[in-house]
Amino acid sequence: MQDHTEKSADKAVGYIDSVYCGSGVDGAGLRCVVFFSGCNLRCPFCHNPETLVKRGEQTDADALAARLLRYKPYFRRGGVTVSGGEPFLQKEFALALSARLKERGINVCFETNGHITDAELIESGDLIVDVKNQETNDLSVYEQFFEECVRQKKDIKITNVLVPGKNDDREKLCALASLVHRYFPKKSVYFLPFRKLCAQKYEELGIPFPYSDIREAEEDDVAAAKKYF
Amino acid sequence: MQKSFQPGKYQTSIDVRDFIQTNYTPYEGGAEFLAPPTARTKALMEKVNALLKAESDKGGVLDVDTEHVSSLLTYPAGYIDRENEIIVGLQTDAPLKRGVNPFGGIRMARQACEAYGYKLSDLVETEFSFKTTHNDAVFHVYTDEMKAVRHAGLLTGLPDAYGRGRIIGDYRRVALYGVDKLIEEKQKDKKKYGERLMTEENIRTMEELYKQIDFLKKLKEMALLYGIDISAPAKDAKEAIQWTYFAYLAAIKEQNGAAMSLGRVSTFFDIYIERDIAEGKLTETAAQELIDDFVMKLRITRQLRTPEYNDLFGGDPTWTTESVGGMGEDGRTLVTKTSFRILHTLYNLGAAPEPNLTVLWSEKLPESFKNFCAKVSIDTDSIQYENDDLMRPVYGDDYGIACCVSAMKIGKQMQFFGARCNLAKLLLLALNGGKDEKSGTQLAPEGKAFHGVLDYEEVRKAYHKYMEWLCRLYVNTLNVIHYMHDKYAYEKIQMALHDTEVERFLACGVAGLSVAVDSLSAIKYAKVTPVYGENGIICDFTIEGDFPKYGNDDDRADGIAADLVREFSEELKKTPAYRNAKHTLSVLTITSNVVYGKKTGATPDGRKAGEPFAPGANPMHNRDVSGALASLNSVAKIPYECCRDGISNTFSIVPSALGENNEQRAENLTDMLDGYFEQGAHHLNVNVFDREKLVAAMEHPELYPNITIRVSGYAVNFHKLSKAHQLEVLKRTYHSRV
Repeated sequence: MQDHTEKSADKAVGYIDSVYCGSGVDGAGLRCVVFFSGCNLRCPFCHNPETLVKRGEQTDADALAARLLRYKPYFRRGGVTVSGGEPFLQKEFALALSARLKERGINVCFETNGHITDAELIESGDLIVDVKNQETNDLSVYEQFFEECVRQKKDIKITNVLVPGKNDDREKLCALASLVHRYFPKKSVYFLPFRKLCAQKYEELGIPFPYSDIREAEEDDVAAAKKYF
Repeated sequence: MQKSFQPGKYQTSIDVRDFIQTNYTPYEGGAEFLAPPTARTKALMEKVNALLKAESDKGGVLDVDTEHVSSLLTYPAGYIDRENEIIVGLQTDAPLKRGVNPFGGIRMARQACEAYGYKLSDLVETEFSFKTTHNDAVFHVYTDEMKAVRHAGLLTGLPDAYGRGRIIGDYRRVALYGVDKLIEEKQKDKKKYGERLMTEENIRTMEELYKQIDFLKKLKEMALLYGIDISAPAKDAKEAIQWTYFAYLAAIKEQNGAAMSLGRVSTFFDIYIERDIAEGKLTETAAQELIDDFVMKLRITRQLRTPEYNDLFGGDPTWTTESVGGMGEDGRTLVTKTSFRILHTLYNLGAAPEPNLTVLWSEKLPESFKNFCAKVSIDTDSIQYENDDLMRPVYGDDYGIACCVSAMKIGKQMQFFGARCNLAKLLLLALNGGKDEKSGTQLAPEGKAFHGVLDYEEVRKAYHKYMEWLCRLYVNTLNVIHYMHDKYAYEKIQMALHDTEVERFLACGVAGLSVAVDSLSAIKYAKVTPVYGENGIICDFTIEGDFPKYGNDDDRADGIAADLVREFSEELKKTPAYRNAKHTLSVLTITSNVVYGKKTGATPDGRKAGEPFAPGANPMHNRDVSGALASLNSVAKIPYECCRDGISNTFSIVPSALGENNEQRAENLTDMLDGYFEQGAHHLNVNVFDREKLVAAMEHPELYPNITIRVSGYAVNFHKLSKAHQLEVLKRTYHSRV
């Protein structure tokens, strides 16, 4: 995978779409979420289509860390979640940001699609890995990633967007359970019900929302999926 | 004095704080000890709920006694259900029946009666035709300029036609000392003052002391109407609560101030309750029952208001504010079991806006209490938070909150409520060279009118000039109001429950801060050009380019907010205040942000003419787009040292953004409060709900009869708000993350 981060002097520069300050549902505690720009995947259910391409605000890790430090008083249980886009696409920038935050005692968590297995990045923060099995049965890409996590004895959180008719059937769920349990025998998957709140974003961007005709997942769907774990 | 209490200074002088400090038991445990409502409580609450429903069905007022003038001894004893009440006393002879209080102004009393289909009796009309009311007297003195700025809505909500309120009597003194002792102390003071030179000031104090003593005697008589003698100290928990309630009841019979706040009684009551429990005289269930019964009474306090009043202060609030928790100066927490018990009434009796439960938040509060408060907020949306770590160094550890955000040492400080000035309208006045943008009238001295693209420095200079002019006029106007209020509507029982040497604040305020800030930011960072109407007055603005907006933790905009309040506060201090009061400032609107908006033309930030302002110190609706914490950080930058009368922030977050389950939400809310207050922020009203729920409640009120929401320093039943207020609440930012 190509590293897109630009280096100028000692400053790690990168691209972000936005920073959202105040989420209780992106990792432990209260968090600020940084959305990196650019993604290596094109998932048809993507919730943040505005982050797919690498454009947006150019910033350096020091400036971004300083901005995030303003929220340290809220971070007793929380911290910063780096999401996207795919944060692992901007390696130097991600590592520099994580280092700046950690040296100030701020917890860092990366939300990744697990397609980029990089030992340094995996080591640099807590991890939320979203398994994408909606359009494929080939989950081999995750084997490498999970293997590295196991090697580092990392306790990761695994998520999966549950899309009715796409990955909520027995076969898909058994395959997912089998993959996860091979590396983490006791781990459950945290199912995120497919939502269409993002439809408006697609409209504004003038790009099609491929899953626009699929129904949203309900609590019952999630409960049914959980039974496989 | 009771033998089983620890002795202290409180035995030799009036000193409730010392009694609390020497006798209370801090509680650091959890909520598991709390008791559910008894069958009696439930039955009585059902009666109250039926009355509340009848009141609402009748259009907001159940009944009015038009024959009498409300005071301590006007009405015979009244009951909800005599046999089943533990704490007794009503404002009139029947629950929810409103009394008439024309001392502030007869016209307002008359109009209020008429608004609800009643007619003020000839008897009261005749009696008051021979009296000067506070309202009459103020208008005898008001200058043309004062009347003009008041009419234009540059100064609004001035307490010149009703009681000023915002004074907290130390109602606990009645329980601790009994009325006789309080009379004796006041008589001693009167004797001392009698030896002084009889200056105008001293004569006034002497007359006030006479009135205080007179009303303390009436307070005793009032209690006797209920067969209870309160001349001696309360002997147990039930008596302590009853005595205290009688004192508060006397105040709300005598005065119809907008905010008639209770003070800080929970931990005081706790001392009596814990002693009774230790002596086997009280069980937890019985203790909770006492608090439930007391709170039920506080929920049905009422004043008779006009519809215009309701526009400013929507939802029929009384601001029976009770300050709960906080830390002591010695480092012990002031949280007691009764702090939990009073919050627990929101479960036992259901969510409700009154009493206005205000948690004094400190980083050092016991974790279990923090968590309980957060849980109560999430479940009921009925409590507000104020920063004890910020206020304690200024007001000590026995202060209370009057109204929404006004701190004062209980029984030692009082304030002259000064409503607020409209900062956004003042900016338009400056841009129009002193002319009112609505009427075209020359309100202020003529100044330069602006043409073409607005230059920030020039606008700022002109704004400052008009700020100087208005601040002087504002303080002068308040001086007139409070001189007359003291003279014609003096708070006799409330001031009897203060030290004779009392410290006074002149509590000024500003509204429209976020509009003024964003307007200045637009002028500074974008290109703003005024558009003129046919009358030569600015009717709109064209804005080219983007600009930083207050509420996104962007110092460029937030810095303007801090500068404005500092500037305004300094200007106010240049005009001496009546009775050497200390000038203070609040950033608070109550619900008048809607009326202020109505009275203000289009502003340079892109806000349309007539559009509501954001409440209090809130960022303008939906302009705080960087997340809940960014919005909080912006408000936290407004310096409390310039706004000692409080900085109100009303905050709504959707449950799904706060956490995945209730336990997480409570933890996250706790962290949010800790983080916000650690930065020196002052106040937070917390709502945790989905906007959709309110939309549904508007469409199907019958399905959501008891939705309580925090609006601006107080809570209301959503259905008691006017349509305009409901719509404004819906427009606010609901922090979520999609």
